[in-house]
This record gives sequence, C-alpha cells and structure tokens, in this order.
Amino acid sequence: MSQGGEPLAGINPNPSENQVTYVGQTHAASNPYLTPPGPQVWHPPPQPAPTSWSYRPENLSTQNGYPSNYYYDPQRDASVPSHTQSGPSPTPNAQLQGYSTPYAASYQSSVVPHNNSADYATSFYSNANINSSSLQVAPNQNTGASNQPPFQNSVGHTSSTTMSNSNIYYNASGDHQNTATTAPSYQSGGYYYQQAGQAYAYPSANQGSTTVNPSYQQQYGQPYYYYNHPAGGTSVGTEGTMPGGANAGSHPGVGAAGGYSYPTNQPPPPGTSSWRPDPGTSTLPPVQGVGATGYPAQYPGQFQAYPQKPADQVPASAPTLLLPSNNAIQGNVFFSQTPNMHVSSTNQFQQASQSSQPQPQLQPPPPPYPAQIPDTRQIQGSSQLHPNMVQMPETRQVSKMQIPTNPRIAPGLSTGTVKVDRGSISTGGLAKPAYVNVSVPKNDTKLTSIAEDADKVAIPVSLKAYVERSFARCKTDAQRTANQALMKEVITKASAEGTLFTKNWDLEPLLTLPSSDATNTNSTQESTIFSSLNKEKRKSRWEPVEDTPEKKVELVSNSTNGGPSNIGYSRPEATPKMDGKNWNTMKFVKAQKQSNFSSSGRGSFKKQKTNTFIRKPAGNADSSSDSDKERELTKYYSSAISIANSPEEKKRREHRSKRFDKRKIEGSTPNNSSSILTRKANAMLLAKNYDENSGTDRAVEDIDWDSLTVKGTCQEIEKRYLRLTSAPDPSTVRPEDVLEKALKMVQTSNKNYLYKCDQLKSIRQDLTVQRIQNELTAKVYETHARLAIQYGDLAEYNQCQSQLKRLYAESIKGCANEFSAYHLLHVSIHSNNKRDLLSSMARLSIKSKQDEAVKHALKVRAAVSSGNYLLFFRLYKAAPNLNTCFMDLYVEKMRFEAVKSMSKAYRPTLPVRYVAQVLGFMKNSEEKKSEITDKSGFEDCEQWLKAHGAVLKSDGSGDLQLDGKASMTTLYMPEPENAVSHGDASLAVDDFLTRAP
Amino acid sequence: MAAYLSLAESQRRIAGYLHRFVDAIARQDGPTLRPLLAVSSSASLLPLADALANFPDSSRLVTQSDQIAQFAEILLPLLRSIQSHRLRCFAEAYSSYEKAANAFLQEFRNWETPWAMEAVHAIALEIRLLAEKGDRELASVGKSPEKLQAAGSFLMKVFGALAGKGPKRVGALYITCQLFKIYFKLGTVHLCRSVIRSIETARIFDFEEFPLKDKVTYMYYTGRLEVFNESFLAADQKLTYALARSDPLNMSNMRMILKYLIPVKLSLGILPKMSLLKKYNLLEYKDVVDALKTGDVRLLRQALQDHEEQFLRSGVYLVLEKLELIVFQRLVKKIYIIQKQKDPDKAHQIKLDLIIKAFKWLGIDMDVDEGECIVTMLIYKNLIKGYFAHKSKVCVLSKNDPFPKLSGKPVMAS
Repeated sequence: MSQGGEPLAGINPNPSENQVTYVGQTHAASNPYLTPPGPQVWHPPPQPAPTSWSYRPENLSTQNGYPSNYYYDPQRDASVPSHTQSGPSPTPNAQLQGYSTPYAASYQSSVVPHNNSADYATSFYSNANINSSSLQVAPNQNTGASNQPPFQNSVGHTSSTTMSNSNIYYNASGDHQNTATTAPSYQSGGYYYQQAGQAYAYPSANQGSTTVNPSYQQQYGQPYYYYNHPAGGTSVGTEGTMPGGANAGSHPGVGAAGGYSYPTNQPPPPGTSSWRPDPGTSTLPPVQGVGATGYPAQYPGQFQAYPQKPADQVPASAPTLLLPSNNAIQGNVFFSQTPNMHVSSTNQFQQASQSSQPQPQLQPPPPPYPAQIPDTRQIQGSSQLHPNMVQMPETRQVSKMQIPTNPRIAPGLSTGTVKVDRGSISTGGLAKPAYVNVSVPKNDTKLTSIAEDADKVAIPVSLKAYVERSFARCKTDAQRTANQALMKEVITKASAEGTLFTKNWDLEPLLTLPSSDATNTNSTQESTIFSSLNKEKRKSRWEPVEDTPEKKVELVSNSTNGGPSNIGYSRPEATPKMDGKNWNTMKFVKAQKQSNFSSSGRGSFKKQKTNTFIRKPAGNADSSSDSDKERELTKYYSSAISIANSPEEKKRREHRSKRFDKRKIEGSTPNNSSSILTRKANAMLLAKNYDENSGTDRAVEDIDWDSLTVKGTCQEIEKRYLRLTSAPDPSTVRPEDVLEKALKMVQTSNKNYLYKCDQLKSIRQDLTVQRIQNELTAKVYETHARLAIQYGDLAEYNQCQSQLKRLYAESIKGCANEFSAYHLLHVSIHSNNKRDLLSSMARLSIKSKQDEAVKHALKVRAAVSSGNYLLFFRLYKAAPNLNTCFMDLYVEKMRFEAVKSMSKAYRPTLPVRYVAQVLGFMKNSEEKKSEITDKSGFEDCEQWLKAHGAVLKSDGSGDLQLDGKASMTTLYMPEPENAVSHGDASLAVDDFLTRAP
Repeated sequence: MAAYLSLAESQRRIAGYLHRFVDAIARQDGPTLRPLLAVSSSASLLPLADALANFPDSSRLVTQSDQIAQFAEILLPLLRSIQSHRLRCFAEAYSSYEKAANAFLQEFRNWETPWAMEAVHAIALEIRLLAEKGDRELASVGKSPEKLQAAGSFLMKVFGALAGKGPKRVGALYITCQLFKIYFKLGTVHLCRSVIRSIETARIFDFEEFPLKDKVTYMYYTGRLEVFNESFLAADQKLTYALARSDPLNMSNMRMILKYLIPVKLSLGILPKMSLLKKYNLLEYKDVVDALKTGDVRLLRQALQDHEEQFLRSGVYLVLEKLELIVFQRLVKKIYIIQKQKDPDKAHQIKLDLIIKAFKWLGIDMDVDEGECIVTMLIYKNLIKGYFAHKSKVCVLSKNDPFPKLSGKPVMAS
C-alpha cells in the first residue's frame, strides 16, 4: 500500500500533466475531472508530444526506483502475448509481422505517419472515452476490498496530478464509489465498459461522467480500428519492443514510446468517430475474459510488483500499446480464423486499444498505474492487471482482425470474439495460478533488445515500425541477428546524426539482409497452404509493405496455435461467463494483488515475469494442429464457462455462440480450416476495406472475386438452408456433383413444399457461393420456380424467375420459352404493370412466339385484357406446362367478372348449367361429359354462385337458373376462406408445424 | 488539318479557351459560358480539341495562373473530356465530363443568382448525350452500359440543387425533362414519380411560370406516363396541353405528341381526320382508324400485327388492342343499321346468328358461345344498351340510343 502510494505521488505530477493534455483536448467536455487540470495541461496537441517526451525522462527518473520493476511487468505482459503467438509457429515474429503488414501495413502507411495527427488522436480519444467507461467498470471491479490499496495510491495520484493518467488508477479508487452506478451499465454496455475498464484510466477520472460513454464507445470503436491498424504498423516493431520493454525494463525507452503515442492521441476530436458503433458491443465480457484468462494466471508475480511499481508498469504497458504489432498480428490471425468473431474482436479491439492506447497516453508517469490497474480491475481483481496487459495484445489482435470486418460482419462475428474472450477468460480462471509459462521467443528477445535500445533513445513510432518491418522479413534466427545488428547501427547512426525524429522512417528503404531468400522458404511453404489471394489483393490495393501475405498466413497459423488466442477464438460461449468470472475473479484478484504487492519486491516481480515469458513460448510451440487444438479448447472452455453471472445474459450468448460452434465442429477439418480461415479473413478484410472506402470508388472494383470463391467439400446431400452471416465455410458447401444429387433428391422427394423449398434454397446458396452458373444452376432455379408456382409461392417464384432471366440471357440452356410464358402470365395477370408487359412482349423473339406455351400465354393475356371469360376458360383447360397454375390465381376474379357481366347482359335468366360450362366448372365441357363429373361441376358452380350472392331460381323445366336482373345488385366477392391477416396463406401455422425435418 | 497545328497555336487556343471560360464566370455571363461547356454539340470546340491533341501539357496551362487554377477541378476534366470526345472515346469523355460537371455544380450552388442556369442546362443536356454515346460505345464492346444511369443520378443532384425555393427553381423543369428522357430510355419510368411529385406538389412555384418549352416537354412525358397507366382522360389533357402549345410547324414535335394523343383520342371515341395522319406521317394509325369507322375487326387485328413492334415500343399497343370492343360495337351497329333498313320493326332484335355470320364474313371463326360472350361484354361495358336472351339467342337492343357514343369518355373499365 504505502509503496504504491509513494510511487504514485512521485509520478503523479508529471503524469498528470501529460494526461491532462490528453484529457483536456479530447475529453475536456466529458471529463469534469480532467478539465480542471486542463489549464495545467498543455492544450496544444502539437506540444503534447514533445512534452510527453520531456516528461518521460522525468517520469522515468521519478519512477526509477519503482519504475524499473514496473517496466518489467509491462514488458512481460507484452511479451506474453507475443509469445503466445510465436509459440506455435517456428518463426512467430516474422510471421506475425508479415501478417500485420498486410493488414496493418496499409493502415500504418496512413495511420502511422499521422500518429501525431488527428488519426491517432481520434483513436486515443476514443480510448479516453473508453477509459471513462472503463473507469466505471474499474470501480466495479475494484469494489473488492483488496484492490483498494492500489487504488488509494491511484487516488493520491489523482489528487496530485488531477485527472491525468492517474485517472486510471484513480478511477479505480475514486470510481469505486461511482462503481455502484456504473456497474449495471457496465454489463449492458458490455464490451465498451469492460474495455474501458481495461483501458483504464485516463479518462477514468473523466468517466465520472458516465454519460459520455455511449457516444464515445461508438466513436472509439471506429478509432480503434484505425488505431489498431496503425498500431499494427508500429507493432511490427512492437513485438520486438514489447519483449524488449520487458527485458530491458528500459524505463526510458518504454516511457518514450508511451509518450510518443501519447501526443498523437491528443489531436483526435471527440466527434471524429463517424464509424458505426461496434455491433459486437455486447461482447464486452469476452475481452475481459481474454485478458484474464491465460495471462492473468501468468502474472501473479506481477501483481506484487504492481503495487510497488505501478508507475513503472504503466510505461511498460504504454510501450505495448505502441508495439501494437503483436496485437495487430494476432488480431489478424484471429480474424482469419474466426470471422465470426468480429463483434467480439471489436470489443477486444477496443479494449486492447484502450488499454494499450490509454497507457501510452498516460504512459509517462501515471501510465504504469493505470495500465496495471485497469487490467486488474477489468478482468481480475489484482494480479490480473498484468494479465490484462498480456491480454491486451491478444485483444488487440482480435480487434484488428475485426476491424476489417467489423462494419459489415460484426454482428455475426461477435460470437467469434466471444469465443476468444472465453478462451482467455477460462484460461484466466484456470490459469490464475499457472501463470508462469511465458517464454519469449528468440526472435522476440532480439527484437526486444533492439526495441529496448530504441526505447532508450525514445524512438519515433515510425522508426519502430521500420524496425518491425525489418524484422518482419527475417525468417531465420541468423537473419534476425543480422538484422538486429543492422537496426542498431541504423538507429545509432540516426540518433547520432540527430535525424532520429526527423527522418521519415515510413519511407526509409529496408537494408538488405543476407540470404533473405533462403530464409523465406519456410514462410512460403506455410503460405502456400493458404490461398494466395491475399497477396494479390493486398498488393494491389494497399501501399506496398515489405511484409508479404505469407506472413499474414503464418501469423494466422501462429495465432491459432497460440493458446489463449485460439481458445478464445473457438468459443463464443465463453463471453457470457466471462462476466461472471471476471467479476468474481476481480475481487479475488484484488485480494491477491494486495497481498502480492505488499509481499513482493520490485525485483522479484521482474524476475518472475521474465521467467514466465521464456517458458511459455516453448510450450506453445508444440501445438501444431490449429483446428484440433481449437476444438479441445472449445470444449475445455465451455466447461469453464459455467460461472457466468447473469443467467439471462449467459443463455442468450450461449445460444448465439452455439450456432457457430456447431458449424465449426461440423465443418472444420484440420487441413481446411486454415485456408478457410484465411479466406474468411480475406473476405472480411475486403468487406472492411470496402466500408472504409465507400464514397471513394476504389474499393469494390479490384476485389478479386475469383479468389474469394469457395470450393465446397461437403458431401452431405441434404442440407438445411441458413442465411449466411459470414463468409462461407467450404466444409459446409457442397460441390457441384453433390448438388446435382441433392437436386435429384428434391425432385423425387415426397416431402412437402416447405421442405423442398428449404433444400432448394440451400442448393442455390451453395451454387452462388461457388459461383456455379451453368445448366445445373438453371435446372435448380427452374425446379424451384415450378414448385413455387405449383405451391403458389409467388415471392420465391419471382426470385427464381429473375435469376433465370439472367441465366438465359447468358445463353445458358434451359426451358426459356416455358419461363417466358410464365413471365408473361405473371405480369399480365398479377402485376398489372403495363410497361413491364409491353417490354416483355417486345422482347419475345419471333421464334419464341411460335412456342406453344408462349402462344398460349399471349392468348391468355389478350383474354384477360379484353375480359373475354369464355376464351379465358377455354385456354384454362388447354394450358400447357404450369400455365394453369398462374391462371388458377386469376380464375376467381375472372369468374366474378364474368358473372357480373352475365347478370347484366342476360335476361331474363341464364341456366346455371351453361354458366358452369362457360366458367370452367365442368371438367371437359367440349367433349361428351361423363355424368358424374358433369354433376359435380354443376354443383360446384351452384355453390360458387350462391357463395357470391347470385340469385338462383328454378324454372319450369327444373333447371336451375341464374336470375340476371336480381343478381346484378346482389353479387359480391366473398372474403377468401383461407385469408390470413398477413396476406400470405403459405405462412399458416400448421404448415410450419408439418414442416419436414 | 489539325494535325499540323503548331505548338504555339495550340497553346494559344487552349489558353484562349481557358480565359474565355474564366472571364465568363467572372462576368457571370451565362450565354458565353454555355457553348464552352457543350462538348458534343458546339462546333466551336473542335479547334480546341485539335489543339489539345496537339499540346500534351494542357494541365500546366490550367494550373499556371491562379485565376484559372481556381477552376482547375472543372477545367482539367473538361479538357480531358473534350479531348476524349474528339477521339471518339465517349465513355471516357463521359467520365471526365461528369467530374467537371460535379465540380461545376459545386460552384453553381454557391452562386446566389441563377445567372449560370444556361450553363447548367447545357451541362444537363451534354451529360445525357455523352452518356448515351458512351453507352452505345460500351455496349458495342460488350460492356454493360451504365453511363446513362450515372447521368440520371447526376441530374438528380442537379435537380436537388435547383428544386428548392429561390430563383433557381425556374430551371428545375428543364432538368426534370432531361431526367424523363433518361428514365424513359432506360425503362425506369417509375423513377419519374418522385420528380413529378416535387414539381406538382410545390405550392411555392406556379407551374405556369416555368419556361414554355419545358412545360410542353414536361406535359408530353407526363402524358405518356398516363398512357401507360391507361388513364386516358388525364393523358388526353396533358398531351393536348402539349400539342396546343408547341409550334405547329415543328413537325417532329407535333408528330411525337400526336403519336400518343391519337390512340388516346381513339380510346375516347374521337377519330382523327385522315389528312392529319398524312400530314404528320402517322399512317400506321390509318388502318386502325378505318377499322373503327367500319367495324372491320380483321383490319384492326391486321394493323396491330403489322405494326406490333412499333406499337409495343412506343407503348400504345395495349391501348390500341382495347379498341377491339369499340370495333365490335361498330360492327353490331352496322348490322343493326342494315337490319333497320330492311325491317324497321324488328331492327332492335339482332339474332346472334347474324353477328356470327358477320364475323365469319370477316374471316373470324366464332361459335355461339363466343358470340354470346362478345355480346355480353359489349352490354356489360355499356357499348350496347339492351339485353341478351340466352334461350332464343337474340340480342334485344334498347330502342333509345342502343349504341351509346363514347364522346370523350373512356370505355368503362372492367
């Protein structure tokens, strides 16, 4: 306690200023707390960056005693994530980087350069908001008594520093009080809040005003995306830096990094977030879970350290933020794996970004606290703080992934995210104690060392990105070492020349590495597994980044392998539980934290962390089969889920997530899954891209649809139709030959229309996603159209007809004449659209006018248009194909018109027998009629006439007569018996109940 | 010819054009500006186009002077468009022109007075013409023609800029008419509805205040829409409005209006003089008119068949087809007249046999039931006053005006 308090106090002044600047600019309105400090704080955005820098040293110095330890922690956290990623794949970093590059690169190009500018600012801004929300959250979490000590420290910060970074911590403390109010919102707000909690603090003070949150969240979601991307760009280096940060405990470096990002944050206008709110908002819990899961467990040591060195930790976290690369990469990975996850990813994103971003902002002095604190608060009570940090990277990754997809897919994706969260969460719950095994991959360490170096010098973000890029192309250790040396040289040179900050690192060409080709082989192999689409697309549309698509792929695979991320990924269900867990854990953790803090010294903390890092990767490396692991994880997690707090929430979420699980289990084959995932990721990316670019016209046209086309592998003949909410999974798509069988099956099936309709729709879907357009396609649509006509399902018929029209226009063989006859009948009888009718008549070729069906249809049209009932019913009896079915729909109306005109024209009477014959009640009026059918037809007619109000009387001969004059005023159109209020009798309840399985 | 223009001459021409353009804007001189924007219809731009082809760096001339450069967003694509049009790359010319037009519209919005209305109208016309050319070009190389649609959405933007309150509204009807042309061409006439609503429901601006030529065009198109809807009275009113106000010496305009007005009038029972058909070369209606006069159903059917494609395209086929009942009426009336001459006492009783015989004489086979059905329809639609006796197969006519004339009223709808 006391220790914590001291550091805080020392740090606070500086941090507060830094924070203030942020707050003041972005949050000023929302954050009451922040505003006061505002004056102190630097208003001008441009200034902040420099200021932050300057502060850093101070902070560092101030913090030094504590900070060093703290730094360690953050690093550890950072490293953990990276490890997880790297663990699975031999060349984690490189791969990761590669991944990040494709996605992140583009972003980086745009974002990174701008870090200082508004873009960053926005993201930060959003973070700030998040933080505010998080503050609330934090309080809730904090509520646990154990937390208080840290909080108190933070409080002290707040008081001294005002709102600054301390906010995070402060929030925890001060917010505790608030918490009560916020807590409810938290759950509902879910992701945002949680994220906020993670994000911690800056704003937290600000958060006091909860109202801000909603708007912010939305905004922030968007910014995050951006943010993440940029982060990704930076992150490339980040991985390296992260570890470095951890290793070095390089306070200055870390701090610098944090400070760096910091300035950028300031610019963003609050309103900026024009993007849609995250669909996945609900996912909130997952994020926490993620953070909590594997990481928390790993970090027990951290907790201890935490209290002591909160400030230090913060900086560390800040670096992590800067280093987004890891996150980004992971994010990508996740992305590809679980498109579904989008929603959650967003949230995670936000969380990650929040946590990471906020930290950077806060970074200098206060950051350490906030970072730690938020983590703990959010996920676990005490120790988890670190875990959070760790989680953060994961979350970030996720978020990145999501980013691309979010706009469109997000809703569907949410499950995916949730899964991730759960995984992480569950891990957290289980792992808490287990925290230990985090080993940093070699690559990471190297990177880190460089990063450390860089950090010491206060590296610009762009440089970091540059370094990351350079490492990204390293495929082997040897290369890495070489690269490391190179980078060191470059950086030293630059700093010696004083160009470190003036140089445009984004444009700086990478130095050549020895034997890079040889190194690449590994990656290429991996990449080949995946579709090459990514490469092409990325290259074409985005700025050229050194990283290749392969890297992405690798990253994906890595991420999959990585324990926590994968897990989270697989289980959608985890999220709901997360909440409960988190809450529980939070308290628990808090208690732990306190004890840890008090008991453990700074030094021990560091050591623990480093150890964990190193070990972990090794463990992960073993896992090779992504999908298998995923499944295991899912099961595992699902079992862990049981703790969910709100039963309702839980139920809902589980329900939602189950859909995805099911599918996954059904569909995923180890080999397929990775490529599927990549493809999905691709699609999502495209979608995201598209969204981003909407307004500009570059997005859609260069989408390579061929590369996105799925080749199905499913051998099931029967398949239920389910509207796609995400990119199709080849394992659930049937190839053409199977579809042919399926069509046969439907054609010969005895089941009812609804079953057939369902089956045909799924066939159509499979054809569509595989872009099969041939005679089979025409056959399917024709079959469906015929069934729909017979059943009277005009809506479905219309869909088929319009598709058929297109197919025939592409001169695909089919029953074109038959269907142009249907079309004629449909427009002339039902749509009453004269222009359509004219154009479809004009479109008929002379040849098709010779066709019996078309001729018939034209005659029917003429009869209808002139009101010639006699002709109509004669045609009705001679109708080819299913023309009768269309006419059926008009029979009632025609009869009624006919009887009306008859009753006006005929005097005195008209034999009902004649009416029956003329109006088609007799089965075959022309030929010799059998007495029986004649009789029944006659009776039908009589009933029909009576039902329509005709006046019948029998004359002397005994024949029933229609009294024309009397009937004129009494005829009416009865309400159809089977009328339903919604107008579609086919939706009647019993039809649904009899629906075939 | 142009190929041997000197570089200096080219530069002079381009610079001259640019200065004229900028001057016209500076002086708010719409009439001068107008031809400078007429890419496809202004012959004065041909020398410029040649100069552009000859002078590679025309964009430098634009950005050179601040005065010109402020309109660079208009001028650069405009020059490109002029050049592409000269090279007969119409799709490209359209794309460039649309960019220029968008930029111009942006400027236009900021000008408070409608001085540039002529220029805007020139743009509206040009963009439609270019789009049509571009679409033809695209279609000929197998690409989907989409330019006209794009032109439609651009013109909707222009319409939006004009249709509000204020002095610019007077120019809105012209844009509306250009939109009609596009929509009719594209077959998306349902899109006309929103434009029409905004023109006709606005109380702030009296329709009569629009320029006459726009009013006539507008009435012509809305009249055609009414023909599609088969609301003949409204169609008659609008087309008559257009006809009465257009120049009788402008044969093609008169003909276009009459092409729709004649079928409408026929449906209302009003027949044109043969001299009118001859004067405006509308002889495709001659047989139809004759059939109506004589009750010759065969002639009507033949005429419909002969000109089917034409009638389908112009959209009057269904209208003409409906004349058949009127022809039937005429036929029965003829029978009635002949019968009356023979035996005035029994004139009001027409045997079904006679009617069927008349049809047979016209080459149309018909059995008793069909005959009954036709008579029933005639009675039902008030084309014959009377009744039909099923037992005796006799149509008994009212003694008072058995064959009511339509005289300006449409046949009762079924």
